[in-house]
Amino acid sequence: MPRRPRSSRLAAVAAGTALLATAATGCNAAAKNDDSAAAESGGKSFTLVTPDPVGQNEFLKLAVDGVKAAAKAHDGTQKVYQSSDTASQQQNVQAAVDTSPDVIVLVGFEFADVVAQQAEAHPEQQFLVIDACTTKTFKNVSCAVFREHEGVYLAGAEAGLLSKSGKVGAVDVLDTPQFRRYSDPFAAGAKEVAAKTSASTRFVGGQSPFDDSARAKEQANSLLAKGADQIMAAAAAGNYGVFEAAKAKGAYAYGVDVNQCTAAPGTVVDNVIKKTDVAVREGVEQVLAGKGGKTISYGLKEGGISLTGLEDGVESSKCVIAEHEDVLKKVEALRDRIVSGELTVDDPATK
Amino acid sequence: MFFDSDLLMSALRALTPILLAALGGAVCERAGVFNIGLEGMMLMGCFTAVATSWFTGSPWLGVLAAALAAAAYSLILAVGTVTLRGDAVVLGVAMNLLAVGLTSFLLRTIFGVQGTFDDPSLAGLPLVGGFSPLAYLAWAAVAVAALMLSRHVWGLRLRGVGEAPEAAATLGVSPARYKYAAVLVSGVLCGLAGAQLALGNVTLFSENMTAGRGWIAVVAVMLGRALPFGVLLAALLFGVAEAAGFRLQGLGLPQQATDAAPYVVTLGALFLSTAQRRRRTGRTTGVAS
Repeated sequence: MPRRPRSSRLAAVAAGTALLATAATGCNAAAKNDDSAAAESGGKSFTLVTPDPVGQNEFLKLAVDGVKAAAKAHDGTQKVYQSSDTASQQQNVQAAVDTSPDVIVLVGFEFADVVAQQAEAHPEQQFLVIDACTTKTFKNVSCAVFREHEGVYLAGAEAGLLSKSGKVGAVDVLDTPQFRRYSDPFAAGAKEVAAKTSASTRFVGGQSPFDDSARAKEQANSLLAKGADQIMAAAAAGNYGVFEAAKAKGAYAYGVDVNQCTAAPGTVVDNVIKKTDVAVREGVEQVLAGKGGKTISYGLKEGGISLTGLEDGVESSKCVIAEHEDVLKKVEALRDRIVSGELTVDDPATK
Repeated sequence: MFFDSDLLMSALRALTPILLAALGGAVCERAGVFNIGLEGMMLMGCFTAVATSWFTGSPWLGVLAAALAAAAYSLILAVGTVTLRGDAVVLGVAMNLLAVGLTSFLLRTIFGVQGTFDDPSLAGLPLVGGFSPLAYLAWAAVAVAALMLSRHVWGLRLRGVGEAPEAAATLGVSPARYKYAAVLVSGVLCGLAGAQLALGNVTLFSENMTAGRGWIAVVAVMLGRALPFGVLLAALLFGVAEAAGFRLQGLGLPQQATDAAPYVVTLGALFLSTAQRRRRTGRTTGVAS
């Protein structure tokens, strides 16, 4: 959830137009053509609505990959509507509903309210919400949520093994149960491998907690001043501030959602990544199989949550963990215990 | 070991951008222009500083460009309030909103990213004695502003323009010129504040990264009654309250409570200063309070 600052309250200048066709479809006209072709061949159609422009946002890029894979598997078509603010999010969902594709995929907590309204108004339309869910259950709304805490636990284990001071810490956006998924399991993971580890957490807070990297940096500094040398960064845009603080003191940090090692090579050890492509692909299968209306949780077992260090391409990831094969071996063993159900990670969000 | 050197350093780092912006606000206030566009001017400074430092490789050019860009941006307020006699509050709010949109838009068009621009090779300001050079500049600016406002003819005229523009005009002082100058000075100072935030406190740009610091500066101007040393004290209060808030989290106080710390401090300080002022005016006019 701390993957990006909330879509900012943009003034008229920057507010993008409602619909932006993706590179994949070229333009709206092309998308329409694809549509009719699909109708003739009887393939399935999917529409993805993103809360922000996809751009370099790897979290959203993976979602696009997921929709493309689903379209390919079903010999169908896909469209991507990129939003730039709250108004365009609603317009895009409306536009998606108007074309009534087989499944509308929505990524992000931003859509929780609007999808509830639309699902009630259009009971025949199937929705798949990724990384969030509606408060009420609907027969035509399926959800995919992530068990981030499992990945954070593994990152914590890495921190416990790599820490020299025996002190680890975490910087979260806000003190809410959802964000505590990025701090409490980090401490638990570190203590699992090094029982004497002590851990503490700081929350960015303030007027705009998602954007305030200077504040996040100071929070990290206050952890470093107390001797922490491994810091979990779950501070949205503030993560870069945390990396700077860690780098200045020669300490290490852990990123979230995507590979953030490139932002501070030599400082970022590993990342807890969310594989939205897996969630989109499998969610679409569920819906098409007539098993919509359920919430599926993705963790280490389902391959929806992982660490950069446990994925292919770790050598070229610029992550510090690539130099610590011994640590990775132990973390893999820990992962296998979680996957087999032998070890369960406490979820702060359900306490 | 609650109050130690780390706490002090943290407080002083938090202080610098707020102090620079608040000084600019104080100069405007003295000239009779209520400037609440500090936040937007600062944000323009942040973006220009990062963009210039990135393309030229020199953080110093970044600082210079930030000061110039924010000064140019402040012209909106100068032209709007002085020449066109518009409402300063409306203009200030508009400038703040425009700055968020404009910088986000430029971030996407120039750097092709959204949210945050951060690169390991982006050059930030060097540290001298643990602080960026702009921090020392901020301290010096307090003294210079105090001296100018209380001793120099420009400062006296500026205050005259702020307090009684008609009287100043009859003495041959152009209120418009002084108000323009004051707004431009606040633009330069806010640009420096933005450069300090984006190249000093951190080395990156993220959308809306000023995160309310400009508003805190506006409050500091009021709290310090637009006196340079008063503004310094008010900004220091915020810096210490914020840094102490981080520490209190470490002692187990919830984040929601530590977040409130700067505001509780503001309210307390406002009460105290108002009470003091009322007592004093009561004494001089002989009215029983």
